[in-house]
Amino acid sequence: MTYEIFKHFPVLAIMCYFVGAFIVTLAGKRRMLRNVVAGAVMLISLSLLLSLVVPVMVDGQIITYWMGNWEPVEGYAIGIAIEVDALSLFFGLLVAIAVALAGFYSFRYITQDDANGPFFTLFLMLSGGVMGIVLSGDLFNIYVMLEVMTFAAVGLTAFRSWNPNAREAAFKYLVVGSIGSTCVLLGTALVYAQCHTLNLAQISAMLPGNMNPTMVFAFAMLFTGFGCKSFMFPFQPIAADAHGAAPSSVSVLISGVFTKTGVYGIIRVSYFLFRTMGLTSMQTLLVFIGCVSMFVCVTMALNQHDFKRLLAFHSISQIGYILTALGLCSALGIAGGLYHAINHTLFKGLLFLTAGAVLYATGTTYLEKLGGLARKMPQTAALFMVGAFSISGIPPFNGFASKWMIYQATYEKAAETGSIGYALVTVVCVVTSVLTLASFIKVGQSVFFGQLPLEYENVKETPLSMRIPMWIMAALCFLTGLFPDLMVEYLLGPATAAVLDTARYIDAAMGAGYAEIVANSTAYLAEPVLVFAGTWDPVSWLLLFVIVMCAVTLVSLAGRRSRGALTLADDAKHATFFGGEEAEFSHVASGDLFWGFKHNLRGYLNFMSRAHSGITNDYVVWGVCAMAVITVYCFIFM
Amino acid sequence: MKKKNWKRDDLIVRCLADSYLPIALVLGFYVILHGNISPGGGFQGGVLAASGVLLLYLGYGFRGAATAVNMERMHKLEAVGALAYVFFAMLGIFAGYNFCRNILWNSGNIGDLWSAGTISLMNYSVGFKVLTGVGFLLLLIISLLSTGEDHEHDGTIPTTEHEEGGAAK
Amino acid sequence: MMLANYIGAIALIVIGFYAMIVKHDIIKIVIGMGITDYGLNLLIVSIGFNEGGTAPIFTFGELTSGMYFVDPVPQALTLTSIVIGACVTAMALALCVRLYKEYGTLDSRRIRRLHG
Repeated sequence: MTYEIFKHFPVLAIMCYFVGAFIVTLAGKRRMLRNVVAGAVMLISLSLLLSLVVPVMVDGQIITYWMGNWEPVEGYAIGIAIEVDALSLFFGLLVAIAVALAGFYSFRYITQDDANGPFFTLFLMLSGGVMGIVLSGDLFNIYVMLEVMTFAAVGLTAFRSWNPNAREAAFKYLVVGSIGSTCVLLGTALVYAQCHTLNLAQISAMLPGNMNPTMVFAFAMLFTGFGCKSFMFPFQPIAADAHGAAPSSVSVLISGVFTKTGVYGIIRVSYFLFRTMGLTSMQTLLVFIGCVSMFVCVTMALNQHDFKRLLAFHSISQIGYILTALGLCSALGIAGGLYHAINHTLFKGLLFLTAGAVLYATGTTYLEKLGGLARKMPQTAALFMVGAFSISGIPPFNGFASKWMIYQATYEKAAETGSIGYALVTVVCVVTSVLTLASFIKVGQSVFFGQLPLEYENVKETPLSMRIPMWIMAALCFLTGLFPDLMVEYLLGPATAAVLDTARYIDAAMGAGYAEIVANSTAYLAEPVLVFAGTWDPVSWLLLFVIVMCAVTLVSLAGRRSRGALTLADDAKHATFFGGEEAEFSHVASGDLFWGFKHNLRGYLNFMSRAHSGITNDYVVWGVCAMAVITVYCFIFM
Repeated sequence: MKKKNWKRDDLIVRCLADSYLPIALVLGFYVILHGNISPGGGFQGGVLAASGVLLLYLGYGFRGAATAVNMERMHKLEAVGALAYVFFAMLGIFAGYNFCRNILWNSGNIGDLWSAGTISLMNYSVGFKVLTGVGFLLLLIISLLSTGEDHEHDGTIPTTEHEEGGAAK
Repeated sequence: MMLANYIGAIALIVIGFYAMIVKHDIIKIVIGMGITDYGLNLLIVSIGFNEGGTAPIFTFGELTSGMYFVDPVPQALTLTSIVIGACVTAMALALCVRLYKEYGTLDSRRIRRLHG
C-alpha cells in the first residue's frame, strides 16, 4: 500500500469542479477572480488525474474509495463507492484535458456575451457531472451525475441570449434528453429490485448468467438511456440543434465529453454489468446502430449550411465509429474504439474551436456568407486544416491511426466469423470517411478559401489566448497520431484490459475471491491481449511525405525559370474577348459544391431533411420507438 | 392594470399571508433542525421555509417580495451553503478518514437534537442551500411572469441551475 | 396490492410518453415529462415496500422481535428523483416562458426554426 495518498485523488478531482462552480458564483461580477478560480480548478483537477496515471495505468492498481468509510459488510456493499480502474481513468483524463482547453479558450471567447456571470458556474457543473459519472462506482450516483450534467448542458445551450435559436434548441434537448434519463432511472430501479445493491462491482458479480425477463428489460432501458446520452442514431437531431446554439467552447464539451459519458455507460452496461457483449445478437445490434449513425449523420452533414450544425452531425458520425468498434467485442476493436474516442475529443474539439474563432471574428457561422478567411486568419485556417485532416483520416494525424485500427478490427472480425456483414461494415466505414473528407472540402472551400466578401475586409486574427488552446489541441492531434505504439502501451492497453477483465474490478471492490464465489463464470469475453494484424508505422509514412514534398518543391522550383517566357498579362484572355474588364471571380457557394452528387441522391437527402422536421413531438416519437425496438430486440434475442 | 392592483390591495390575502408566513418559516426550520432524528430533512425543510417567498408574493406582489428578499444575496448564499456542505464532508479527509465521514459520530445521546455529529451539520447546510436556492428560483419564476413590472434581474435561465450539487446527496 | 402499484406506475409512464408524443402544446409536453417522473417514483417506492414493514427510522422501545423495516434505499432514491424532477419541470417551464415570448406561440409545430 504505497499508494495510500492517491485514494483521495478521484473524489477531490470531482469535488474541485463543484467547489470551483460555487466560488465562481460568489465571485459575482469580478471577472478576473472568476477566471483565476476557474482556471485553477481545471488545472488542479487535471493534475490530480495525471498523477493517477502511474499507479493505475502502469502499475495496474484499482483505486476503491468508500464514501464515509462505509465498507462492504458480509459481502454486501452498503456504502457509495468511487472506483477508478484504467477505463475510468482513461475517460477521466480525456474529460479533464478537454475541459481545461475549452475553459481557457472561453475566458476570452465569452466576453462577447452579455450575461457571462453564470457561464463558468454551469461550465464547471457540467465538467464535475461528467467527471462524477466516469469515476463513480455506484449506479444511482451515475444517474444523479447524468442529470446534473444534462441540466448544466441545457442551461449552457440556452445561454446565448442574442442567439434566437438557443431556447428552442435547449427545450428540445431537455425534452428528448429526459427520455434518456427516464430510461436510465427505470433500468437502475429494476436492477436494484433484482440485486438489492447499487454498487457496480457487486451487480456485475451477481447479474451475468442470472438473466430473467426483468433484467433483459433493465438492460434494454440502460442501453437506450446511455445511447440517448451519446446521441446515437435516433437521437441525433437534438445534438445538431444544441451544438448550433451553444457557445463553441460548450460544443467542445457536449461533443467531446458529454457524448463520451454515453459511450462509457454503454461499455459499463454491456461489458461489465450484464456482460451481454459475448452474444452475437448484441454485437450485431451495437454494430448496426453504429453504422446507421455514422452513415445517416455524414449524409445529413453534407446537406448543412451552418458551420456548427455540420460539425455537430460529423460529431455523431464519429460516435458511430466508436460504437461500431466497441460492438465488435474483440480486444483490437475495443482499443480502436477507445483510441477513436480520445481522437474524436481532440479533433472535434479543435474544429469546434475554429468554428468559434470564425464566429468570434465575423459574427456568423452561415457557410454561404463566409469565404476567403484564410487571408485574414491564416493560423485559424491552418488549425482548421489540421482538424479536417484528422477527422477524415489523412495519415500523419490521429484520425488515421484509430480508423486504421477500426478497419483492421472489422475485417479481422469478418475473417473470424466468416460473415459478409462485417465486411460490409468495413465498406460503410470507408465510405463514411470519404464523405467526411468531401464535406470538409466543402467547409474549407466556403469558409477559408475562395473569395473574401467585402464586409469581412477588416476581420482580424483571433486573440492569442484563444489560439493557444487550439494550437495545443492541434499538437495533441499530431502527437497522438504519431505515436500509436506509446498510446497503446500506456493508455489503450490498460483500458482495454480493464474492459475485458471484470473479475479484477469486482475483487478490488468487494475483497479478493468475491468474484469467484458469487459469479457464475469469470470467463473473459475475449482475450485481453492486443494482437495487431499489421501496425502502421508513422515514421516511415512521415519520411515518405517528406520525400514527396521535397520532390514537389524541386519540380516547382525547377519550373520557375521558364515562367519568364510567358509575356502575356494575366488578363490577356479577357482583354481579347471581353473588352478589357477585370477578371471577376464568382465564389462557389457551399450549397453548389457537390451539387451533382446531391442531385443524384436527392430522394434520400430530401427524405432525411424532412424527417429532421424540428418538431419536438417527432423527436420524442423517434426516441420512444428506439426504446421500443431495442427492448423488443433484446427480448427476442437474449 | 386593474388585475395587477387587485392583488396588492386585497386585505384578506395580505393578512393571511402575514399570519401564515411565520408558520411556514417555523415549520421549515423545525424540519431542517430535526432532520437527523425524524422524517424530513434539509431539502424538505428548505422547501417549506422557501415557500415563505410565495406567501410574500401573494400578499405584496412581486415588488413586495423582491424588496423583502435580496435576490442577489440569496443567489450568493446558496453557493455558501453548498460550500459549507463540501467543507463538512471534507472534514473526514482532514481527520484521516474518507470523504463524507462522520467524525463526531459519538457525540450526544441517541434521540437528542445534537446526536448525529457532522451529518447534522451537513444536513443544516443542505437545508440552508435549498432554502436560499428554492427561494431564488421562485423569485426568478415570479419575475419571469410579471412582465409588466420592471424586474431588475433579467431572468436569465441558466442561473436556475445550482439545485442539485449538494441537495442530491 | 403491489400489482396495482406496478400497473399504476407503468400506466403513468405510458401516459406521460403519450402526452409527450401526441400533444403539441409545449406546456402539455412538460406535464407529460412530469407524469413520467411520477410513474417512475411510484415504481421505485413500490420496489422497496415490504408488506407490514415499519418506517425505517430508529425508534425507542417499540421494536419487538419479528418486526422489520421497509427498504429505506428506494425511498432515498425517490427523494432524489423527486428533487431532480422538480428541477426539470422548473427549467422546462422557464424555457416555455421564454419560447412564448420569442415565438408568440406554444404550439410545438410552429417552434421549428431549427430543422433539416
